[in-house]
Amino acid sequence: MTTDHEPSDSTTVAGESGEPRRRIGVYVCHCGGNISDYVDVAAVRDAVAGDAEVVHVETTLFACSDATQNDMIEMIESQHLDGLVVASCSPKLHVPTFRAVSRRAGLNPFEYTQVNIREQCSWVHSDDRAGATAKAIGLVRAGIAKTAHSVPLEPITVETTPSALVVGAGVAGMRAATGLADLGLRVYLIERAATLGGWVDRWGPMYPNGADGHQLIERLREQVATRDAITVVTNAELVAKSGNFGNYDVDVRVMSDPPTTQRFRVGSIVVATGFDTYQPEVGEYGYGIDGVVTLAEFKELVDATPGPLRVGGRPVRTVTYIYCVGSRQPDGHQYCSRYCCAATVHASITVADHDADVAQYHLYRDIRTYGKLELLYQESRRRGSVYMKFPDDTPPAVRRDDAGHLVVRTTDTLTEGMAVDIPTDLVVLVTGMVPRENHDLTSLLKLPVGGDGFYNEIHPKLRPVETVVDGVLIAGTCQGPKNSFESVASGLAAVAQSGATLLKGVAELDPLVVNVDQDRCTWCGACQEVCPYGAIDRIVCDGREVATVNALSCKGCGGCAAFCANEAIELLGSTTAQIESMIDGMLEGSARDEELMV
Amino acid sequence: MMSLDVEKTAAPAPLGKPVAVVTPGLLSDLARFGATDVSACFSCGTCTAVCPLVDNDATFPRRIIRYGQLGLRDELLSSKELWTCYHCGLCTESCPQSADPAQYMAAARRYAIAGYDRTRLARTLYTHPVVGAGVATVLAGVFALFLYAFHGERSTTSFQLFRFIPEGVVHWTGVAVMVLVALAALSGIVTMVAGIARKEGVAWRDVWGRVGRGHGWSAVWSAGAVESLGQRRYREDCAEAQTDREPLYRRRWFIHAMTMWGFTGLLLATMSDYALSVVGLRRTGTPEPIWYPVRLLGTVAGVMLVYGVTLMLVNRLGHLNRASRESAASDWLFLTLLWVVAVSGFLVELSLYVGTAPAWGYWIFLFHVSVALDLLVLLPFMKFAHALYRPVALFFHSLASQSTRVTTDA
Repeated sequence: MTTDHEPSDSTTVAGESGEPRRRIGVYVCHCGGNISDYVDVAAVRDAVAGDAEVVHVETTLFACSDATQNDMIEMIESQHLDGLVVASCSPKLHVPTFRAVSRRAGLNPFEYTQVNIREQCSWVHSDDRAGATAKAIGLVRAGIAKTAHSVPLEPITVETTPSALVVGAGVAGMRAATGLADLGLRVYLIERAATLGGWVDRWGPMYPNGADGHQLIERLREQVATRDAITVVTNAELVAKSGNFGNYDVDVRVMSDPPTTQRFRVGSIVVATGFDTYQPEVGEYGYGIDGVVTLAEFKELVDATPGPLRVGGRPVRTVTYIYCVGSRQPDGHQYCSRYCCAATVHASITVADHDADVAQYHLYRDIRTYGKLELLYQESRRRGSVYMKFPDDTPPAVRRDDAGHLVVRTTDTLTEGMAVDIPTDLVVLVTGMVPRENHDLTSLLKLPVGGDGFYNEIHPKLRPVETVVDGVLIAGTCQGPKNSFESVASGLAAVAQSGATLLKGVAELDPLVVNVDQDRCTWCGACQEVCPYGAIDRIVCDGREVATVNALSCKGCGGCAAFCANEAIELLGSTTAQIESMIDGMLEGSARDEELMV
Repeated sequence: MMSLDVEKTAAPAPLGKPVAVVTPGLLSDLARFGATDVSACFSCGTCTAVCPLVDNDATFPRRIIRYGQLGLRDELLSSKELWTCYHCGLCTESCPQSADPAQYMAAARRYAIAGYDRTRLARTLYTHPVVGAGVATVLAGVFALFLYAFHGERSTTSFQLFRFIPEGVVHWTGVAVMVLVALAALSGIVTMVAGIARKEGVAWRDVWGRVGRGHGWSAVWSAGAVESLGQRRYREDCAEAQTDREPLYRRRWFIHAMTMWGFTGLLLATMSDYALSVVGLRRTGTPEPIWYPVRLLGTVAGVMLVYGVTLMLVNRLGHLNRASRESAASDWLFLTLLWVVAVSGFLVELSLYVGTAPAWGYWIFLFHVSVALDLLVLLPFMKFAHALYRPVALFFHSLASQSTRVTTDA
């Protein structure tokens, strides 16, 4: 829908002297004022309006709006355009949008070119309107020149194997395995330990509602066992991966005597390798002193004690918790471990259940019992837990006094920063999650690792379980601290994501890969050497050694094309002719515009 | 990986400040004294913000509640702020957590009375109300039996109280009771003063000696005259907290002043009566006309006391204001004893002036003296003890505000 005030001055050039080689439409976007405040979009329009191959050019308030998209489709159809240039924002944002517009208008999506005049012009040159405009004109000319050399491309389709490998059989991996099996996929569930279950299997009652961890895993084990589609391999590690997206061959080594290796063909790989608990140094908050334990140790103690707690044969009358040990440290793990507050608060309620007279002091920096878990915090306060916030720069100190009694000295922010000694029987260091050491797996799958040591997703909101490696998904705490229900949710997200590609039986890949002109190739091997994806093979063709490209493995980076001495390699969508014409277009533009501008 | 500042955690952390030690279970102990809702408190400080009596020299109730939550028993008992609160109930009305800060403050005062008492009698009276009522009753009975053991004839021609119970017996029993009470009171006050002086950093030289004396006397004047007898802050600062601007005769400070002035007046009248008999001017129990100064003082004070205590009871029975929304057994015990003593005193006076000597007059007299002795002997162990401790706290409050003023002026 076009509004009255939408600037849409357009120039349509038709049937003048001779037939133009190409019929290209150009849209120059205001992006509200994001672009037009700093770039003279009308000048950009006028500068390219006379190009022989530009049939239509217009400015538009928002190129991505539904109204403009519909106008584009109408224009492509009515003017029989065979190329489209959109000069607006970053290709990361709207390439899918305008490829879809092209497809709907019957134009091959790869005949469309995105030109970025926002991030590359208006945003970075807001102090120089003339310069920003000149640069925009150059970029748009380059885009037009590239489009003039474009050819229609079709996506590469690949048949996929309807099976998945799940690495790690904790709560996330097991739930993912049953979910995948229920979609009708074949599942290989491999686990390094001798039994399935992971951390949750070791725990008793867990928050939020006290469900027993061991029993939950028992139930999952049953569900895994009753599904014929799931093959469980324990004492096993992934040691090799080959093949391409949709059809990976994975080698799994089983630590039997003697070790054996099994090979499976899978369409996707779900990595659910979990976490490790933070282990404090000796001396860190008194760790090493008798009566000072980590959260994991405390949880085991509470789970194993049906009645009042005892330590060293003596009843526990006072428990003091110190939060954020090993988490949110400026020089260590900077992240919040997310589950520890609620786990501790829940354990303290269990302690109060068993023995209402135990005094419990919680020394915290911030309590993060988010969402519905707030109720747990309220409940623990009702049961008499005392919460004391200590300043970041004055952490509590744990010691045994001269009489041998365990004493925690803390500073209570809410009592005017008063220093307080808490004689206590048990100190619990509330330790969080750290990434598990998995160097071999990380390098085998080329998994991206973040600064915190956990695996990274592509996009935290929109693509939360996919990695940059096609077909390799992450689930559970290998991605970052999560509690068990968040882990299960991400496991199921990986199930949905696997199902979305594997259930169709075919996957479509971008055709923007390299192509080898085997007549020109003399096989020097340089391309194979530089390819990071192992996509180039040597074959013998008509008695000559030449290079060939596996289009399924190629990511279209173009590294090989730059190295090819014979110019035998072309990157589709960015061919040598296209790049050279872009450079020409940009140079020609800047020379001409400088004259105009002065 | 090493976490932050291990050296710091290993050091005997925050130095330079006295370190308070927690007593686990303090809050549940306070609950036994009536602080039943305070565990809901999350330390927001709304109570402190709305309290009309909070100033820079005394912030409460939030801080005082915090002491209770953490188990800082010594800090709690050393807080003059317990006694600078007059329980208007505004804090309770504005508390977002319904933690009833006013109730907590009242309970903390009870706890303090028990904490300053070394005999554990106060604790028993507070935490076991039935036992408390029993103790008060039995004690009154013991006094009655003791006095009756010395009884003589009950003249029917003229009202001869001291022929019934010899004056010497009444006198010396009274003296003995007062000595006991004074010892208990002194012990409590010394404990309290030592605690508050430590916490407030007040040394002997601050209230005595060349420089301190002025401050000391000024604080005594402020605590004793302006605040205790004059009820200044109760009158002025609490005025905005009065519900619906009650008429004067119903205002809390007025009712309290009537009670306190009435009791003080009766004490003075009794002392004067005894003084007159010591110097031989007049025998106690001799009928006098109403304008006779000592009798006039006693009668007026008695009326004030009966008025004040009666209204307090009525307020509590009908939950007529914020402060009397809830009553503890200890409130009833104190008010009941006070009311019984005051009313029975009037009946004694009545029997003295009805003309002929009524037989019931002798029994009322025995009853009155016994209950009065009962009230007196329990003074340091029940709500009555606020009469000892509030002036002490107000003394320290006055000192603190003087030093704030000095610091601000400098």
